[in-house]
Amino acid sequence: MQANVGAVAATVPQQEERARRDARHDRLFSGILMACALLVLACLLGAAGATLWGGRHAFGTFGWHFLFSSAWDPGSDTYGALVPVYGTLMTSLIALVIAVPISFGVALYLSEVAPPWLRTPVASAIELLAGIPSIIYGMWGLFIFAPFFADHIKPWLTNYLGNKPDDGKLSWVAQHTFLGKLFGSDYPFGASILTAGIVLAVMIIPFISSVMREVFQTVPSRLKESAYALGSSTWEVSWDIVLPYTRSAVIGGIFLGLGRALGETMAVTFVLGNAMQLSPSILDPGASIASTIANQFSEAAGLQKSTLMALAFLLFVVTFIVLLIARWMLRQLAHKEGR
Amino acid sequence: MASSSFLYTKRRIKNIVALTLSVIATLIGLIFLAWILWETLRQGVGTLKPQLFTKITAYGEQGGLANAMVGSLIVNLIGILIATPIGVLAGTWLAEYANGTKLGESIRFLNDILLSAPSIVLGLFVYTIVVLPTTSLTSGSTTFSGWAGGVALALIALPVIVRTSDEMLRLVPSTLREASLSLGIPQWKLTTQILIRAARSGIITGVLLALARISGETAPLLFTAFGNNYMTFNPSDKMSSLPQMIYQYANDPGEGLHAIAWAGAFVLTMFVLLLSLASRLVLSRSKVSHD
Amino acid sequence: MTESAAAGIHPQSAATPAPIAPTKLKVRDLHFYYNGFHALKGINMDIPEKKVTAIIGPSGCGKSTLLRIFNRIYAIYPKLEAKGEIVLDGENILDSSYSMNRLRSKVGMVFQKPVPFPMTIFENVAYGIRHHEKLSRADMEIRVEQALRSAALWDEVKDKLKQSALGLSGGQQQRLCIARGIALKPEVLLLDEPTSALDPIATGRIEQLVEELKSEYTIVIVTHNMQQAARCSDLTAFMYLGELIEFDRTEQIFTKPGKKQTEDYITGRFG
Repeated sequence: MQANVGAVAATVPQQEERARRDARHDRLFSGILMACALLVLACLLGAAGATLWGGRHAFGTFGWHFLFSSAWDPGSDTYGALVPVYGTLMTSLIALVIAVPISFGVALYLSEVAPPWLRTPVASAIELLAGIPSIIYGMWGLFIFAPFFADHIKPWLTNYLGNKPDDGKLSWVAQHTFLGKLFGSDYPFGASILTAGIVLAVMIIPFISSVMREVFQTVPSRLKESAYALGSSTWEVSWDIVLPYTRSAVIGGIFLGLGRALGETMAVTFVLGNAMQLSPSILDPGASIASTIANQFSEAAGLQKSTLMALAFLLFVVTFIVLLIARWMLRQLAHKEGR
Repeated sequence: MASSSFLYTKRRIKNIVALTLSVIATLIGLIFLAWILWETLRQGVGTLKPQLFTKITAYGEQGGLANAMVGSLIVNLIGILIATPIGVLAGTWLAEYANGTKLGESIRFLNDILLSAPSIVLGLFVYTIVVLPTTSLTSGSTTFSGWAGGVALALIALPVIVRTSDEMLRLVPSTLREASLSLGIPQWKLTTQILIRAARSGIITGVLLALARISGETAPLLFTAFGNNYMTFNPSDKMSSLPQMIYQYANDPGEGLHAIAWAGAFVLTMFVLLLSLASRLVLSRSKVSHD
Repeated sequence: MTESAAAGIHPQSAATPAPIAPTKLKVRDLHFYYNGFHALKGINMDIPEKKVTAIIGPSGCGKSTLLRIFNRIYAIYPKLEAKGEIVLDGENILDSSYSMNRLRSKVGMVFQKPVPFPMTIFENVAYGIRHHEKLSRADMEIRVEQALRSAALWDEVKDKLKQSALGLSGGQQQRLCIARGIALKPEVLLLDEPTSALDPIATGRIEQLVEELKSEYTIVIVTHNMQQAARCSDLTAFMYLGELIEFDRTEQIFTKPGKKQTEDYITGRFG
């Protein structure tokens, strides 16, 4: 039916030779690929190792005391991690307290409440927030939000809740609850731990809500349908069926947002005030690990530089653990789905 | 009867309150988005002048951001050029060679962590492995450089590219692998010539997303590329970048510099948003052509 | 081989029908396991040269699994294991020393869904050849044309060889895959439910093609469509729960099956 054109089909030894060559190339190729993949591992280990190495001087000088000291005095070369660590944890905590309920609301709206034609545009808009560079959040925070906060929100908080009101008359709340200390401040500007927390919250809402929305969509519709068939309301289905089903992944999404908040530099640096002081009030300025490094590293030398490296190491370890928990929790749902 | 209707009313009210709150939450998110974009637009467009693109930062308030834009382009390009081949190959390994193995799963897991690792720490890492060693070679003058900045951005782009390549390759139907292997084609040829080609648009999306991500990065550049008030095309010099210049100007007391910072912020935001829009377009077009 | 020649010989046992042609693939005591599941339980069969052998059976009976062992494509997945012998031209292809490269240039395969590579129509056919042989540009063009002609696709695509293969219809894509397979000049062609994703007209063309190709190739086709097996095969094997129940001339299987289970399946009582 067909003539044998061109080269005669390869002989058996030729084929064997080709097979050996293919096998050799395959081994080489997979070796190169694996080396590239191991670079990911090397980056993580390297980042931890480099900061630990850079911070060895500070760890050696201050020992365990480093973690609990609020000192920060370049003059006498004594440094402690407490102020930036507190600032990092506090801003992230505030961000979570604000962002989690809002993100849940957004995810609920997008997966259960909104009319279908509105879901995609609104979801895209919210995800647009995640794409805005953090430096833009910082600019907006510094020039727009912090002054707005100082003019419209802060006076209300200090006067009605804080223990340092302008007119000196303490409110009942300030006299009887811990809120007095928390909101007491005579610092006149908008930069504060609370401001940074709010800006961080805006930044992490799209992250948390998109994870929540994604995992809500994994709930089998037969599960929801059977609940609706029993006469449950949208809210009851969401709270009693969807949320328990996706609990671990929702917590994972929250931790993912926390990981982002802990390591965020630019947005925080602009609105935190960068004061190396420990204040009980969240309306006072403070410092975070990332903002301290960003502000001081270029001019630092010797022990101060080592301290900043040590702080970076702490930050890296804490975010690593938080993100580890996040990814692990997210994976639980994937396993449940049998993926 | 009365109690059951009371219960029913209570449940209905609860439902309405909850759903209203969810609408309010969404509105809050959208208001912040609109607020941020509006301010960037308002403050940025008002101060957008041609000299922004032609003059360098050495002239201060009378200058522009030309050197920062050039620096950004060069440093981003270096970052993407380093991260893309490594990221695509690493993602390929995860999807094609290590899928299901312990080592592969662990690296996929760690890559997800690297994806959200604090960028400032990665900047310090690059400072330690690139800037410090070269400094000791040049008898003490600190060798911040565009190269170092590029490496730092590459570390941030890497996990994004690894992840999208991995995911996109795993979406390629296994029948394509079987069909090629049943022709006797070796795995490396199958991978480089067929699978990566089949997943190409997805991988390009990943690269664009990574570019969008690193274009807005500031923190890791502070101690690597450092900044430079003069125009340079040589990555061995210190280099400024748009985000780093915005940071510097916004923190300066000078009002005129704030205006330039806003204009820069506007340009940067538009650039990043257009990039993410482009990446979506590439992905949606690929979906149409594949089915 | 004609009907009259085959009719003179009587079947001897379920697994070894009358030799209507020299044996091409000899399967002996073949077992297959995946993740510990015993999927094939001692298959023995002699597949004759240049004939069409159909394998039928309810889904999950192991018919596709058996086919996928013939070119060892299963080996790309972990945790799969085949035991026994499959002798092709006197050599056991399950032997680890038997090179995949050689096996796959001798045994081609076409899959359930058409799988064109994301490249031009010409490149789809040339791609496999290029890996096994070094041909000049002109020789390659002749070779591709031959393959496309053999797959009854040439007339439809000769003016658009430089276009993407993804633009072809499902039936055309499947014939392209057959062309790609026969371009390597294999001796055995495995077809794994090649028409299950196609419409009736495209199915008819593929069946016609199978009829034409059997003068050149030993063809093994897995199908869930009994009419298809009856229409285009010389021999039919019926499998059930990982065992080969009956293997005989197609005519025999569909008119006077030897086993109760075969009869039940063919008459539609289960499956």
